[in-house]
Amino acid sequence: MSETTQQLILWLIPVAPLLSALITALAGPGALRYKSHLPCWTALAVSFVCSLILLFQILPSVSQPRTVASETTTSESAESVAIAPGVTAAVRPQVIAVGYEWFQVGTLNVRMDLRADSMTAIMLCMVTGVSLLVSMFGSGYMHHDPGYPRFFAAVSLFVFSMCMLVLAGSFLMLFVFWEAVGLCSYLLIGFWFQKPAAAAAAKKAFVVNRIGDFGLIIGIFLIWQTFGSLSFEEVFGGTALLNAVAETDPGRIQLICLCLFLGAMGKSAQFPLQVWLPDAMEGPTPVSALIHAATMVTAGVYLVARCTPLFVLAPGVQLFICATGAITAAIAALTALTQTDLKRVLAYSTVSQLGFMFMALGCGAAGPELVTAAVTAGMFHLFTHAYFKALLFLAAGSVMHAMGDVIDMRRFSGLKKALPITHWTFLAGAAALAGVPLLSGFWSKDDILAVIGEATHSAQYGTFFRVIQIVASITALLTAFYTFRAYFMTFWGEEKFPEEAGHHPHDASPVMAWPLGILAVCAVGIGLLTGPTHLFAGTLQRIQGLTAVETHGLHWGVMAVSSGIAIVGIGAAWFLYVLSPGIPASLAAGMKPLYLISNGKFFLDEIFQWIVVFPLRKLAALAVLFDRFVIDGIVDAVGMVPRALSVLPRQLHGGLVESYAGVMWVSVVAAVVVVLSLF
Amino acid sequence: MEPSSIIPPTIYDVINQATGLIIPEIILLATVCLMFLAGPFLVSETGQAPAGLRHRWGILSLLALSCAFVAWSNTSVVEPGAGPFRSDALVWYVRGLSLTAGILLTLLLWDQIDDGKAAEAHACLLAIIAGTNFVTIANDLVTVFLGLELVSIPTYVLLILPRRDWKAREATIKYFLLSIFSSALVLYGLSWVFGIAGTTNLTAIAARAADVQFDVDRGMFRIAMLLVIAGLSFRITAVPFHFYAPDVFQGVTSSSAAMLSFIPKLVGFSALLRLLSVSFGATSLAVWTPSEVVRFILAVLAIATMFVGNLLALRQTNILRLLAYSSIAHAGYMLVGLAVGANLSGTSGIAALLFYVAIYGVMTLGVFALLTAAGSFTSPIKMLSELSGLGRTQPVTALLMAVCVFGLSGLPPTGGFLGKLNLFLAAWSDGSTTSRVLAIVLAVNAVIGASYYLRMIGLMYLEPSSAEQSTGPAMTQPAALVAGMFCAAATLIVFVSPQWLWDAATLLAKS
Repeated sequence: MSETTQQLILWLIPVAPLLSALITALAGPGALRYKSHLPCWTALAVSFVCSLILLFQILPSVSQPRTVASETTTSESAESVAIAPGVTAAVRPQVIAVGYEWFQVGTLNVRMDLRADSMTAIMLCMVTGVSLLVSMFGSGYMHHDPGYPRFFAAVSLFVFSMCMLVLAGSFLMLFVFWEAVGLCSYLLIGFWFQKPAAAAAAKKAFVVNRIGDFGLIIGIFLIWQTFGSLSFEEVFGGTALLNAVAETDPGRIQLICLCLFLGAMGKSAQFPLQVWLPDAMEGPTPVSALIHAATMVTAGVYLVARCTPLFVLAPGVQLFICATGAITAAIAALTALTQTDLKRVLAYSTVSQLGFMFMALGCGAAGPELVTAAVTAGMFHLFTHAYFKALLFLAAGSVMHAMGDVIDMRRFSGLKKALPITHWTFLAGAAALAGVPLLSGFWSKDDILAVIGEATHSAQYGTFFRVIQIVASITALLTAFYTFRAYFMTFWGEEKFPEEAGHHPHDASPVMAWPLGILAVCAVGIGLLTGPTHLFAGTLQRIQGLTAVETHGLHWGVMAVSSGIAIVGIGAAWFLYVLSPGIPASLAAGMKPLYLISNGKFFLDEIFQWIVVFPLRKLAALAVLFDRFVIDGIVDAVGMVPRALSVLPRQLHGGLVESYAGVMWVSVVAAVVVVLSLF
Repeated sequence: MEPSSIIPPTIYDVINQATGLIIPEIILLATVCLMFLAGPFLVSETGQAPAGLRHRWGILSLLALSCAFVAWSNTSVVEPGAGPFRSDALVWYVRGLSLTAGILLTLLLWDQIDDGKAAEAHACLLAIIAGTNFVTIANDLVTVFLGLELVSIPTYVLLILPRRDWKAREATIKYFLLSIFSSALVLYGLSWVFGIAGTTNLTAIAARAADVQFDVDRGMFRIAMLLVIAGLSFRITAVPFHFYAPDVFQGVTSSSAAMLSFIPKLVGFSALLRLLSVSFGATSLAVWTPSEVVRFILAVLAIATMFVGNLLALRQTNILRLLAYSSIAHAGYMLVGLAVGANLSGTSGIAALLFYVAIYGVMTLGVFALLTAAGSFTSPIKMLSELSGLGRTQPVTALLMAVCVFGLSGLPPTGGFLGKLNLFLAAWSDGSTTSRVLAIVLAVNAVIGASYYLRMIGLMYLEPSSAEQSTGPAMTQPAALVAGMFCAAATLIVFVSPQWLWDAATLLAKS
């Protein structure tokens, strides 16, 4: 494949959705109307195919000529056990589409380059694939919504921004599109902006994300100051500089990593910034599936994984990441136990799973040799999670569609017979999420638990990781439990429909059923296909900052334990919600305080209200006063100056022009005097 | 003016060589003569003319400008000698800008003038464009001054032609008197230069200034430059020579205000670049940085201009007054570039200035064009409140206007953002305290400025329409809309692909 073709394909991935967004935005309200999904489908299909070509054709071909060089280096670094970042300077296969030299002024040179390595390619395949399916589902789900064209324009724009985010070759571009996906998320959460709840949720998401972005931009600024560059190549590739900085000024690296992680916390909804994600469920369900489960929220995980060369130098921050992930995972799982809104259960489960990914990423603290395994585990979970969580959301959307937009699980039950397609696909997703053996969630969760298990052998942080291990195991148990609680409450028991659904709810139409089916197949099989075969890890580990590790066997012990956990969780849910449905209520009554804490989402919203929102409101009120009396006063005073200047001459001469000329004359004379006396 | 070459060329050679340098201007001025001569014959004694005559004159005007464009694209860069004209990269750049502006202004004037007065108005406009070019082409103090007056005098006529109400008359008189005053200052300054150098030829002055040995001479050059800066400050509307701008903008038609917001700035800055660099003996603009005194004066002017322009714009209710203050503020931004000069260690201030002049030109002409297009000849838009709801009543015009206004506020994705960024970089990378202060003041002012520009956009899109525009979208000014479209497109294109313009602007600083 020639160089030009490669570049063309690389550029097509983001440009196709962008074109579709433009076409839909321009022609949507007029010409396209309810055909607005067509440009979107086409563009996403093109992007998806190009991403596949990139992953399976271009990247391997690029790595070919360099195999000799990289193999030798790899074997060397594999021998030297401590994979210090300095050793991993091997040439990594990546494609850089030379972009467009935007602007060169003086010493400032701004370029737009697309940079793709295997991590990018995996993300791209996942993003474009899932979004293609979601947009198909969306055309059925959003059928005859008045905002139909707007929906597809925004989704296309989102896919464009997300593709550019992962294709970014520098922190600057990453930041620009980081903001762009945030904007799309804002637009789509508030899609039904007539609903006050949706508008408020959109605002909340935006504001909470700003806190994270604040950290991110400071981190990027610090990188610029420290390394004098923002390009990934130069920052991560300059190993000598990296190590030098780490030696002379370890605090700075820590600070950079902490700031970057703050950005990731906002976008990936980590404690305590996770409050926006459950509210974001006010958006249309396909959006929840695409943006708030599969793709955008994983950008934080991607950022941390991408910056591995920096994070390995800051073990303290990695521990912090691990702890944050664990706290988030546990809190979210506990909250999910008592929620009655199906989408909210899934939202909390997303938060919890993101916590899992961060837990994995943080395990690099236990020793440099674990870094690769940690990143691989985190990214693998990101990858599998995208499929089964998107599936679960779409299935929940299908339930919602059939139930006349009712999503409260107390108001319907026993949908097994009425909605067979939805039922089976939801079951596939739920089983994958719960970690039923051989399904995709099982493999990735198993990887994470294995990495945490290995980290417990660390001499320095062994105890810390043992605590993490316990939290992770309990959370995994809770995950299985609440997932199947939702499943049993929705699909089992006596058949009950809310009155909004009409008498005979109908199952997913073909345009909705096909994406569900395909995603179900992925949720079931993709883990088995890529996990134990080492396909995923082998591909991912070719990137900068990671070292290809030898295939270590399957972790039989961990697998046995996690299978047990999944089965216990599912069994408990079955026992409580199918066999003896009276127990949950009495349990809730018996442990009222605990129940209230969980149901009240740990009262985080209320706490935020008191410690953040309320003081800020007061500060804003102060600022208004300042603006009104001080700033306006200054403006008024300045406004008086010309008038004052012209009043006097006008009094003297009685004409406006003379006064103007007078001022000019006086200024010239004054200037002459100043120049003669000063210089 | 004695030819300096060894074999004395004949007088025909000299004339031939000199006219060869000003072909675009000859084309323009020939058209001007034609219009002035033929115009009166097509109008009856009562001032009535066949309907649509103005469009025919407009077409002729566009034709002349296009021919000038062709001639411009064939011009070459010539080493300046003893002749009255020169043709360097600055000439090339300014000519390109002024001809483009000429086309846009012709389109703006299209429907803003009675058929009976169209010939004179278009002729004046062409003469102004020719004068603008002469200021840069000039290789002689006398020619510089002639160029300046070739801009001023047709301007007086152009201001009074479209309207004959007392407001226009008052505005024109005001402009006329103050302009004469400023011309006198410039002339006085030039006479000082002549007094010190003993010649009016710019090349010779530069040589003379380069080996000034006496402090007295240096001091006299300072005073001369001070006077020139003061006189030209009137044209670029720098504080405290700006007072006329709001009153005049308010009184004249939007096409005249558009002309005033851009052409005098182009003239003023190119004259300043030329005269300042020459008076300090700089052989080319690439190496010229203002001396300490001049930088001090320019910095004070820049700071005062930015603050006064932006702060006073905040409180305006009349849109033409608001744009006048906005134009003042922008003069302040450009002065930053001039104060930095050719910054050898980083981004060149002169290149940043020229880049900004170009992008400012399209943005401000765009706003005026769209303002013209949004109103009608009989009831032009005057007040800010008349903009409200424009996003619904005239979506296309409003969108284009929003692009141009965004550009003026310096927000991405518009060329205005890059223009301000360059000025900021130039000032910051220069490193001296004065420049750093200028850079910070520039940034602060960009923020202040954003508030009133964004208010305009807010009015167009968020406010309900105040006047019931039941007459339907007023598409009575299609030519202005075309000009507006071009400007809005250019504003975006310069953002997407800025390198060519930057290269053009630097070419000059590097030549």
